[in-house]
Amino acid sequence: MKVLVVDNGGQWTHREWRVLKYLKVDTKIVPNSTPFEEVEEADALVLSGGSPSVACEAGRMGNNGVYLDRFPGPILAICAGHQFMCTHFGGSIGPAQRPEFGAAALHVLEEGEIFSGLPKQFQVWESHNDEVKSLPDAFQVLARTDDCPIEAVRHRSRPLFGLQFHPEVENTEHGYEIFQNFLKVVESWKR
Amino acid sequence: MFDAKGFVEEKVEELRTAIPGRAIIACSGGVDSTVAADMVAKAIGDRLLTVYVDTGLMRKGENQYVDEMFRRLGINYEIVDASEEFFKALKGVSEPERKRKIIGERFIRVFERKAKEFHAEYLVQGTIAPDWIESGDHLRDTIKSHHNVGGLPEDMHLQLVEPLRDLYKDEVRKVARYLGIEVCERQPFPGPALAIRVIGEATPDAVEIVRDACAIVEEELEKASDQGKMERPWQYFAVLLPCQSVGVHGDRRAYGKTIAIRAVSSIDGMSAAYSRIPHDVLERMSTRITNEMKADVNRVVYDITHKPPATIEWE
Repeated sequence: MKVLVVDNGGQWTHREWRVLKYLKVDTKIVPNSTPFEEVEEADALVLSGGSPSVACEAGRMGNNGVYLDRFPGPILAICAGHQFMCTHFGGSIGPAQRPEFGAAALHVLEEGEIFSGLPKQFQVWESHNDEVKSLPDAFQVLARTDDCPIEAVRHRSRPLFGLQFHPEVENTEHGYEIFQNFLKVVESWKR
Repeated sequence: MFDAKGFVEEKVEELRTAIPGRAIIACSGGVDSTVAADMVAKAIGDRLLTVYVDTGLMRKGENQYVDEMFRRLGINYEIVDASEEFFKALKGVSEPERKRKIIGERFIRVFERKAKEFHAEYLVQGTIAPDWIESGDHLRDTIKSHHNVGGLPEDMHLQLVEPLRDLYKDEVRKVARYLGIEVCERQPFPGPALAIRVIGEATPDAVEIVRDACAIVEEELEKASDQGKMERPWQYFAVLLPCQSVGVHGDRRAYGKTIAIRAVSSIDGMSAAYSRIPHDVLERMSTRITNEMKADVNRVVYDITHKPPATIEWE
């Protein structure tokens, strides 16, 4: 299985690569300016976080929009990647009412495959100034924290997942299991 | 998960072809650079010179410890006293990024001199993933310029070799244990050393204060964890703050400096939680610092911030 990590300039992009490597996945980090033709043969994509404020610096998100439109397989979008995905399909974002950094308690509302087999509440690690304010109809909310109502989303018909928190950092509980759940989605999509 | 043996075998082989000539390695005596030194020595033997720079900014007893440790390791090494040149370059500078860049450049100038003497064209560094990630690039913001990446001068002539670039500290420790390197469990210590634990200008006097405070914090937290009172933090140290406050010493007014204690748990340094230190241990550190260092310090605070939003070091 081959999963490419699209680098949007996050502090933890390389951590996403490390987690995938530890899960024995063939993986590589590629810049977000990589032409679609070069990511097309992968089985799945991870869109990393990064410092761009997606609302006013969408240009710094490179080809993320092209990947979201044309890549047929599963995509896991994290932090800025998640915010970009939600706006790309018609949602809105803005400065978070209460920005979250470090520890937060995640409340899972729907397993939506990505939280399959995990507790209903656990600690996650956050680092975001902006947040998704409204979701396009094609998406459903899977989880929230006390300060951020849209922490995890999935597309209703395509295998697209978005997480505001960071499953790739050690301080997030069940992070590896979230990636494993994503890889299960990739496995069944390949079949 | 991570195969230390496989990593070493692959890298040593790569290093043999990557370094056809002579090389020097910048080695602080910490886990990363000592692992790199050992691996490169395995690959090219005596064509490697290990250089430790005494910047004047190192911890208490560090120069002597490193000297003995290198001797035990049986590598070809040299210790360079450059403290005067580091303090001179840092004079009047308080902005943290400037401090880091000045220190990065000073290191390279020392290494260039040593490389010339040793006829080396390659500079090996123990750079690990967080160093280049936090230093920033065309995609990533600069969080802090690590001296060995973002602090390198543009006109540097030595060719860089960085065998540990894709590893994090926990992985380097696994390699160190596999190689039988004695410093494998030492806590991380930043390249710019105590200069970035003095907030503001790093004068010799200020560095001396934070050096003493760091020694007390290390001693007490190591004792407490050895006694099973707490888990040993991932990293633990003191920071000298640029503010003064009023105290009372034997019925006399005291107007002294403030020391912040920082201790965190982490796996890789990329995210961290502040350590839950028992109150009696905090109290012991506070009493020792304010009594033993009463001429300078009359207040101690404990930093209770995770990473993010804070970083582990203060600068």
